[in-house]
Amino acid sequence: MTKLFLIGFKDLRLVFRDRAALILMLLAPFALTVGLGFVTGRFSGNGNSALSDIPVVIVNLDKGQLGNELVDVFNSEDLKKLVLASEVGSPEAARKLIDADKSAAAVIIPPGFTESIIPTQAMIDQAARQGQQLALQVVRIEIYANPTRPTGAGVVKAIVDEFVSRVEAGRINGITAMASIPGIQDMPVDQIQKIVKAMFGDATTQEGTVPSAAIKLKMDITGADSVDFDPLAYMAPGMALMFLMYTVSYGGRSILAERTQGTMPRLLVSPTTSVQILGGKVFGIFLTGVAQLDILILASTLFFQVRWGDPFGVFVLICAAVFGATGWGMLITALARTPGQVASIGSAIMLIFGILGGSFISLDNMPPFVRFISNITPNAWGLDGFTTLGLGGTLADLGRPIIALVLMGAGLFIVSALIFSRSNIMKK
Amino acid sequence: MNKLIAIIWKDAIIRFASIYELVFFIVLPVIFTFLLAGGAPSGEPQDPRIRLLVVDEAQTVISSQIVSELDRSTAVRPELVTRSEGEDQFSQRRASILLIIPVGLDAASLQAGTAEVELRQQPNNMNADVANRAVQTALRIVSGAVNAANNAVLQREKNLPFASEQEKQVFFDSSLQTARDLQENAPDRTTVIQGATPQLNIDYDPRANTSAGQLISWVFIPLLGISEMFATERSQGTLRRLLTTPTGKVTYLFGTITGQVLVAMVQMLLLMVFGVFVMKLDWFRDPAALAAMMFASALAAAAIGTTMGTFVKTGGQANGISIMAGMVMALMGGCWYPLELFPAAIQDFVRILPTTWAMQGMLDLLLRGRGLLDILPTAGVLVGFATFFFAIGVWRFRFE
Repeated sequence: MTKLFLIGFKDLRLVFRDRAALILMLLAPFALTVGLGFVTGRFSGNGNSALSDIPVVIVNLDKGQLGNELVDVFNSEDLKKLVLASEVGSPEAARKLIDADKSAAAVIIPPGFTESIIPTQAMIDQAARQGQQLALQVVRIEIYANPTRPTGAGVVKAIVDEFVSRVEAGRINGITAMASIPGIQDMPVDQIQKIVKAMFGDATTQEGTVPSAAIKLKMDITGADSVDFDPLAYMAPGMALMFLMYTVSYGGRSILAERTQGTMPRLLVSPTTSVQILGGKVFGIFLTGVAQLDILILASTLFFQVRWGDPFGVFVLICAAVFGATGWGMLITALARTPGQVASIGSAIMLIFGILGGSFISLDNMPPFVRFISNITPNAWGLDGFTTLGLGGTLADLGRPIIALVLMGAGLFIVSALIFSRSNIMKK
Repeated sequence: MNKLIAIIWKDAIIRFASIYELVFFIVLPVIFTFLLAGGAPSGEPQDPRIRLLVVDEAQTVISSQIVSELDRSTAVRPELVTRSEGEDQFSQRRASILLIIPVGLDAASLQAGTAEVELRQQPNNMNADVANRAVQTALRIVSGAVNAANNAVLQREKNLPFASEQEKQVFFDSSLQTARDLQENAPDRTTVIQGATPQLNIDYDPRANTSAGQLISWVFIPLLGISEMFATERSQGTLRRLLTTPTGKVTYLFGTITGQVLVAMVQMLLLMVFGVFVMKLDWFRDPAALAAMMFASALAAAAIGTTMGTFVKTGGQANGISIMAGMVMALMGGCWYPLELFPAAIQDFVRILPTTWAMQGMLDLLLRGRGLLDILPTAGVLVGFATFFFAIGVWRFRFE
């Protein structure tokens, strides 16, 4: 057992003396975590999104009640942080700003927008004089979107859609209610107006006149009351787990390197069994992985105050994730013939597991077949566990990811051991 | 000229000696582009809307209307599942939001004001927040007709009381139908036009961002890896051997860099062909402008790799630094996530990175329909990067 530990600690020391390895083990995941911190808004204090102050230009050619209200919506206190609205005089000037990538979208409210929904007295009188039914022409608000700022443009569109849906709800409510008044067809216009005023007041689209939803929405935001989830508690382990695959393949490389450098036969002529040597090497890889994740977690706690959750749960999860990843490292080593092959395959697996495991984008956004395949990666299970802890879970809630990672590691070790036993790597 | 060709050929042979190089050259870039673009197996444009799990236990006209309204939303894509499937996916955080329409949600419960649906969402999740708004909008639309009918009943009762409950119900049903007809026939009151492209009829495709971003990422990293080539050759003494041959520093550097830039341009072309055939992106609309951007981008990355190669000591260090620098530059340059997601100050700061300019140029070509003259300033900036870093690289380059 002592020999096993000695070999393991020796390998750990060697790895941490290799500056080139440290770049990819520690510096790269840390640097990428910082970058992702900007994307998530973690460093700008915007909670879960960096999206704020979306520049939007408005051209209000309508100048009517609804046009002015839409401008007010964009300048409202509710949207103060989200959008940065400015008005320009002409559609051409607004479109130029978008084409020059100065703004996310332009909202152009054409003349006559209000009148296309709320007819004026003159329009009603004219229709009455001509003995015709009042026909309102559809006037559309133009959203001129910046194609290179899809998210900002999408938010602007959502705001306009929300406004239009409220206007539309008010319109339908008004028409349906007016149709209910007995004998409305024969009433003089001024009498209809009085009734409408009594029904809805003056402001057609004000909050109070918009119908309240008849379907109640019962909300359940899991754990939101008990914990404020830190997006870096997802991003930081995502990157750390991805580069963990580099570490385990680096360790695997050292097994084959000992063979090619001739140090493996030397070890085998000493009173050390091949099981002790292989066990020691595996233990060294495991220790290195645990040390790597511990350092990254400690660094993100110190520098960014990332809230990781239950410390005991974090430690057990790290051990389980490293165990699962070490299994993959051993399999790659068992299948490869040279240290160079281990490096190449290891780097490829690192990147593939990174994207399949959700280190780059959340698995929510992936198709079902990708979410299914992700189960073979230690990254997906590890991230699942870290998210559980970040949401306030404890070790007791980590049953699934820990069992999955341990089974993964054990299964891969058995397969690797079988392959090793058939190869001549561990023979004198 | 013969020397140049010999150096280029030698470097290509060395680089592609192992079959694994092809994995990084084309296989992984294609996998990343495919998956980050949404992983649509058919190659058809993938629905970019947020996935919303819906459990419809009511199975009524009203619940169908809710699902239908959600389907019309530009923000969410409803996916019908059973309660156990939905709860399972939600508890495993494989879905950010779950809508449950319980048994009993029908017109009668709406009229009585007892209708209720349940919405479960993960905390601090931007997708869940967006989906929440979409659900509320859909409910308001479906509720709107009932609200309008209820309001009509109220107004009618004020003016002319109903003779019986039956008459009241008939009036309600008729008003509800009127409101629904109005909803059904409501005109579109907004129109969306993608900037700079209306006259060219270029459809906006979010996968264009992914294609351009991955292309730049996967080309920049190996070009920065030129540093590893220099460091390894220096440490192995093969550069020193060149001193004994009639080959100057400029010839050697020019040959090595030209070879790597040519290989990078082939890699870009292959990824563009993938983008054209699988994602239906119009990469080759203006070949001259595209060639200018490809060349300028590759040149800038190669120049940085050359300079890096004069600072690092070992091939291992160079390899690590080039991978790390490539990934960080790609992330910060907007190749992985749109630059608009970064704080304003960072958006300005990252203009010091060539990846930012390369991405801007590629998107100008792909999404804005720009031509050669339009992208010349961007390509010029990249050539400026190349000149600056080549100058440092050549100045600092040593054979030993």
